[in-house]
Amino acid sequence: MSTAPATSGDPDADRPAARLPRPAVPLADAPQPVSATGSKAPATTSAGTDVGLDPAERRARASQSFWTAVVGVPAIFSVLRLGIEAGGELQTTLLLVANVGPVNLLAGFLTTAARLLSTVLVAVFALGGVLAASGRQLGRQPLFARWAEIMPSWFVAASFLMALVTWPLLYLPLLLPAMAAAFQLRPERLHEHPVVRALIVVVVYAGYLWLLAPTLGEAWQQGEMLPIALLAVPPTLALFVAGPLPRMVVRALAPMTQLAVLMMLVWAALPVISTPVLPLTVTTVGEPDATSAVATEEIRGHVVTTDDVNMVILQERGGVRYVPVDQVRGQVLCPSEEELPRYQLRIHDFHVEDSLLEGLGRRVRPVHRVDAACR
Amino acid sequence: MSASLSSSRWRSMATTAAVALTLLLGAAAGCDSRQEPDLPSVQEKLRESHIWGQSVLRIGVADDEPLMGEVRNGVRFGFDVEIARYIAASLGYEGEHRVEFVTVSTEDRIPALQGGVVDLVVSSFSITEERKKQVNFAGPYFVTTQEVLVPNRHRGAIRTIEDLRNPEYKICTSGGSTTEAELEKHKVPTLVVKDVWDCVEGIRAGKYDAVSSDETILAGFVARYPKEFEIVDMPFGTSELLGVGVPIGDPALCELVAYFLDKSYQQGRNGEASPWQTAYNQTLGPWLRSEKRQPQPLEVPKLVDFDDKAPRR
Repeated sequence: MSTAPATSGDPDADRPAARLPRPAVPLADAPQPVSATGSKAPATTSAGTDVGLDPAERRARASQSFWTAVVGVPAIFSVLRLGIEAGGELQTTLLLVANVGPVNLLAGFLTTAARLLSTVLVAVFALGGVLAASGRQLGRQPLFARWAEIMPSWFVAASFLMALVTWPLLYLPLLLPAMAAAFQLRPERLHEHPVVRALIVVVVYAGYLWLLAPTLGEAWQQGEMLPIALLAVPPTLALFVAGPLPRMVVRALAPMTQLAVLMMLVWAALPVISTPVLPLTVTTVGEPDATSAVATEEIRGHVVTTDDVNMVILQERGGVRYVPVDQVRGQVLCPSEEELPRYQLRIHDFHVEDSLLEGLGRRVRPVHRVDAACR
Repeated sequence: MSASLSSSRWRSMATTAAVALTLLLGAAAGCDSRQEPDLPSVQEKLRESHIWGQSVLRIGVADDEPLMGEVRNGVRFGFDVEIARYIAASLGYEGEHRVEFVTVSTEDRIPALQGGVVDLVVSSFSITEERKKQVNFAGPYFVTTQEVLVPNRHRGAIRTIEDLRNPEYKICTSGGSTTEAELEKHKVPTLVVKDVWDCVEGIRAGKYDAVSSDETILAGFVARYPKEFEIVDMPFGTSELLGVGVPIGDPALCELVAYFLDKSYQQGRNGEASPWQTAYNQTLGPWLRSEKRQPQPLEVPKLVDFDDKAPRR
């Protein structure tokens, strides 16, 4: 196994092929701007804000901004969600704040937003890897490249691991090029001999296609082309995605992709902040001696709290109901329509829109019955 | 030198293309994940149907067909009743206070649906081309044959269709049934009454000599009077497909009923205990001469439901 660049003529041959292991200080052999006197100057650029900052300080600032984003964004989202869940009503929001504990709120947020969070992190690290590999052609490293470089490897690996268990199976193949980009993994690392390398790649890819053959065939029959592309193409992209990009491309890519990830964050965050914090239930309410359907009422909503006197229900259509507990005749947990699958495709009985965690969960509790009251 | 330069350029282009394609696929996946399902969902169909918003579902059933639809100690019982309960629960109506069983006679089944007296009819309702012009059918949920029930006094005497044509015997059947048309086709003179029950009581009173109807209905009377009657297997040559009657103006409800019947069928095929099998074992099963299985429902729509992601194996 070799990590050496394939050709000595490579303009980036003096740069390590892989991003790991990463030294704590700037690479000794990385090209530094040279002053008029010929001595190596601090890595200042034409960007006025960084004038006078040494690399260590820049790294510290980038690290600070990264962790602020990682901790701050979920915290803000969690609070925003309560306001949305309360239907914009101040008093209802306060009722929720009073009854939903911070731990529950954070756990609820992580449950519903883990997918979004891991997607953003993977996108940042993959783009950061690509930009860092090409960034030395530019004066100053783009933001994502700096974030990618300062991040400890365990954090990057944990982000990919979180994506692995929370992404739908259909999108999991995209993790391969993302990983190759983030860690700058090239096929050269597989074997130094090109023929053996090609053989390994062909055999592994053939095995992968063989595993997915029933799903791909089913998708073809249903005329679903995007799942075919999402399952079959990404592994081949992983072979070529590592390496420097032409200077012109990087100049355009860096601001565009950073803006795109920001937009994606906002766009994907909207459904996440509107996802309920509390589970959806249907509560059947009626006088204890009621026997007819007319004498009972089914309230669809989220139970905020229950005490000795009342059950407080935040109704799905808005408004809070205080129901005396002795009138509660039954309660069932219901799925929401957002959980309906888009595809009728399975990979060895795992639904393509299930994550690995969800798929394994369904193996543990395979029987799922939708209660009549939920209809 | 030039070879390595071109190799470097090639790699650079390949990387650019790979990065661009990965970004494209990632964007496509992002947009795709926000799309609604292409297929309609069960909830959408429910909202389209006329029962949406109703607090009670009214289902037409028989009350005088033992094993199929009857009242035992004030409680509805029978194969049709159990199928009706399963469909009602699937549509969101579970429990006696949410389902209202309305007694409909054989000849009242179509008018009850047309007049809006009931939302569904599950009452040994055979699917025919003629009836399809007036009501919709979901199913079949059972395939039966036409047979003849004879009292012990005629055991051995009435064995063939030729015997039925004998003017000595008075053959009874219910009005508006497919049996009436079938007997007419075979030129068997019949006395038409309102329900099969009337025929059976008439035979016991010595008024009639035999009654012809679906095997499922006749098996109920054998179960009721096991020492008085027997079923004679006659080669009428037609099979009756029993379906669930739905108002003709509500195709969404018809699709939903077909979807849930198919769900039960698929469960049975996978070796699970299906609602159909449970209903069959509790009612008709012990009384039919041969083991029956749920037939595959026809014209089943593809719908999306909450349990679509559940493992199939």
